[in-house]
Amino acid sequence: MAELMPPDTRRCTYFFLYDGSKVRGEGDPTRQGICYFYPEETPLDKQELMCGQLAGVSRCVSELSSSPVHTLRLRRCKFAIHMMEDFFWALGCSTEVPTVSVCELLDHLINIFCFYNGPIRQSYQLNSKETLAAQWARYLSHVQSGPSEIYNIFRCLRTVDSTTVDPLLLLKAALILQACQRCPLVLTGCILFRGRVVSTQMSPQLTMKVMVQESETYTKSQRSNGASTSCSLGAPVSSTAVFLTTSELQYLQSTPVNKNVSPFSPPLLDAPPKKTRLSRTLSDTPSTESEPPRLQTPQKLSFSPHMSESDDSFSPAPSQSSADSPNTSPQPTRSPLPNGGHAVETEHKLSHHHGFKSNGGSSVFEENQCLNGDDVNGDAARRAVFDLQGDDSGNEQSRDAQMVVGDSGVCFRKAESKHPPPPFTCALDSLEESPLIPKMLYMHRVNGLVLALLVEHGFMSDAASMEEVYHSSLASLNGLEAHLRSIAAATPGTSGQYTFAHYDCIQSTLTTNVSGRSGGAPEHPFVRATSLLHSHFCDTETLQEAIIRNAGVAVYGTRSVAQVTYFQQHSGSLRNSGIPNQQDSAFSLPSKARHRLLKHGVNLL
Amino acid sequence: MAAKKSTLKVILLGDGGVGKSSLMNRYVTNKFDAHLFHTIGVEFLNKELTVDGYKVTLQIWDTAGQERFRSLRTPFYRGSDCCLLTFSVDDSQSFLNLSNWKKEFIYYADIKEPEKFPFVVLGNKVDVAERQVSSEEAREWCQENGDYPYYETSAKDATNVAVAFEEAVHRVLAMDDKTDYLISTDTVRLHRKPRSATTCCS
Repeated sequence: MAELMPPDTRRCTYFFLYDGSKVRGEGDPTRQGICYFYPEETPLDKQELMCGQLAGVSRCVSELSSSPVHTLRLRRCKFAIHMMEDFFWALGCSTEVPTVSVCELLDHLINIFCFYNGPIRQSYQLNSKETLAAQWARYLSHVQSGPSEIYNIFRCLRTVDSTTVDPLLLLKAALILQACQRCPLVLTGCILFRGRVVSTQMSPQLTMKVMVQESETYTKSQRSNGASTSCSLGAPVSSTAVFLTTSELQYLQSTPVNKNVSPFSPPLLDAPPKKTRLSRTLSDTPSTESEPPRLQTPQKLSFSPHMSESDDSFSPAPSQSSADSPNTSPQPTRSPLPNGGHAVETEHKLSHHHGFKSNGGSSVFEENQCLNGDDVNGDAARRAVFDLQGDDSGNEQSRDAQMVVGDSGVCFRKAESKHPPPPFTCALDSLEESPLIPKMLYMHRVNGLVLALLVEHGFMSDAASMEEVYHSSLASLNGLEAHLRSIAAATPGTSGQYTFAHYDCIQSTLTTNVSGRSGGAPEHPFVRATSLLHSHFCDTETLQEAIIRNAGVAVYGTRSVAQVTYFQQHSGSLRNSGIPNQQDSAFSLPSKARHRLLKHGVNLL
Repeated sequence: MAAKKSTLKVILLGDGGVGKSSLMNRYVTNKFDAHLFHTIGVEFLNKELTVDGYKVTLQIWDTAGQERFRSLRTPFYRGSDCCLLTFSVDDSQSFLNLSNWKKEFIYYADIKEPEKFPFVVLGNKVDVAERQVSSEEAREWCQENGDYPYYETSAKDATNVAVAFEEAVHRVLAMDDKTDYLISTDTVRLHRKPRSATTCCS
């Protein structure tokens, strides 16, 4: 096949959506099924080749193995695959990006699309291919807009720097949101400043979706000094239709006002015992559908790293699994429900309990089971040193060998079932078959500041409510904007002595001093090591600490249920070659990390 | 006159709970909410006015009265054209604190000639029956401190609110007129000096 692009800092090398229903007969040209292809300048022949081959291989493998394909690897390119009814998505990244991250990214993209456009089939019935292609392009560029390479690894919510922003201002933002909720038509909201979250009442995943629109209106307002669709209140206010999944909606409705992001608290405990549940705790009321998987995977019920709903973050499975035996949860999603029929009720529940029994079938071309030993070495892996031979730039051979450990091990089955940190919740709400409930997204912009509210449809037609919300928040938003603008200048630079990245799995936030400036060249080894460690953590649920190193770089990683931290000390002399021994400077990393990171608010003690 | 500023920044200062936010809301949106939360930091609203045929945007800055918000509010004093010192007639302490507020404002706003700066004093909550500060006391204080205009207001029933803000605008515009005049005389003087110097030498 066509030569694939060399790995570069770009996150995504290929992305396409292919609609198999358009290509039924022998004579139907493949191009009819191509809904969107990135890069758009790819010659049509090559587009057809890739769509045809990847879709064909995936269908074949999933039919042979009776389990869905999640990743495919093709030379230097790694594809996350998502199949739903006749739709086929593939997202290709460089092999350096952890498989987990690629899959998350694809799910995130699809989630965003459905959030703004509704069910996929329906939106392709209602809109032209070109219109929707522009949407895909927009979402794709949005999700790739992270400031540095490290954002390729973690799907995170960018927040204002809490070390420079007075906490009272965060309180102010939270109070504005609360005040807005005095209007019963307002469901929930968040306040964003220049593409960063100041305060949010939504789950991190929902907030991420809302932020797409925020950045859109920001660029628009920059360009034309005006705003998009506006209403009676004038330019700074806009609104757009959005679609929530049932679980998202239920989460909103069941949570008390201003419940903060904490996907793991049992938000629905007190909710009326409907069938739909989001909760993933022991206290879940058992329901018939979810019973079997719960019994089979009791360990999932403990508050442990792998209880994350990340499990399903890239599996189209859950919706299906409810109908089937739980064991076969990772079913391909050729579901009987076209545009969201039934079955949402069971979907989410199962999504976090679903068994991870492998159906044996692996759909990855290569190296699939390389790291299957994790059950064996799991306990022993509490502290492991992986020797990463070869320096970062060259030595592809040895690197590839290491990749087997770090990266490609995370394919298919294991990645799906066991990657631990709960951050990757974006696909918790698997979209397929889930009826999407239309709501409105109301946005009020004050320069760089945006108040975004999810509201009932009635809100937009209720002038009194709208005015009430607008006027009661205007002065505070003006003030908050003035405050934030006055402190926005300071950007944290790399502090020279060390590099770190700290990921909060609960809030999906990343704290790091990786700047991403000037191509991030000096930070590249850190990012690469982090990526390897990340894969490994995801892969080995019992692993808590690890050091990864080569002759020039040693990076320490540690994780708990709620957080993952990576740390690299920059110092002159490293004695890190050969078999690990007591002289290795790598072994002093844990204590250094504990001390150094305290001042960043990271407590590893 | 032509170069008159089109945005006037007016700042409300005074103890917490005297009704600064309510005054602003009453004036700009003509609404009153008895359950407003403490203001955190600063907030502001704009109001378009036409004064003497000029279109003016009045930017009213409302500040947090509580001491703990001091560091948040003080950076925003700079650039104010007028300061509304506010107290509550049912709270004598808030009245006694007026001079502290004035000092704080002059210090952080970096006012060069405090005696010329336009202050307006507002005694709010006149709708409340039990007064602790009499009109006479208040007027006396205003008299002694620089002959500031004094208004007794009620944000709750809208008494005098618009009048007070309009007075602030007039004060500012009057000041501007004076400074315009001063600047023009300065310019003339600068031009005159070198001319006289040349005549001297020749």
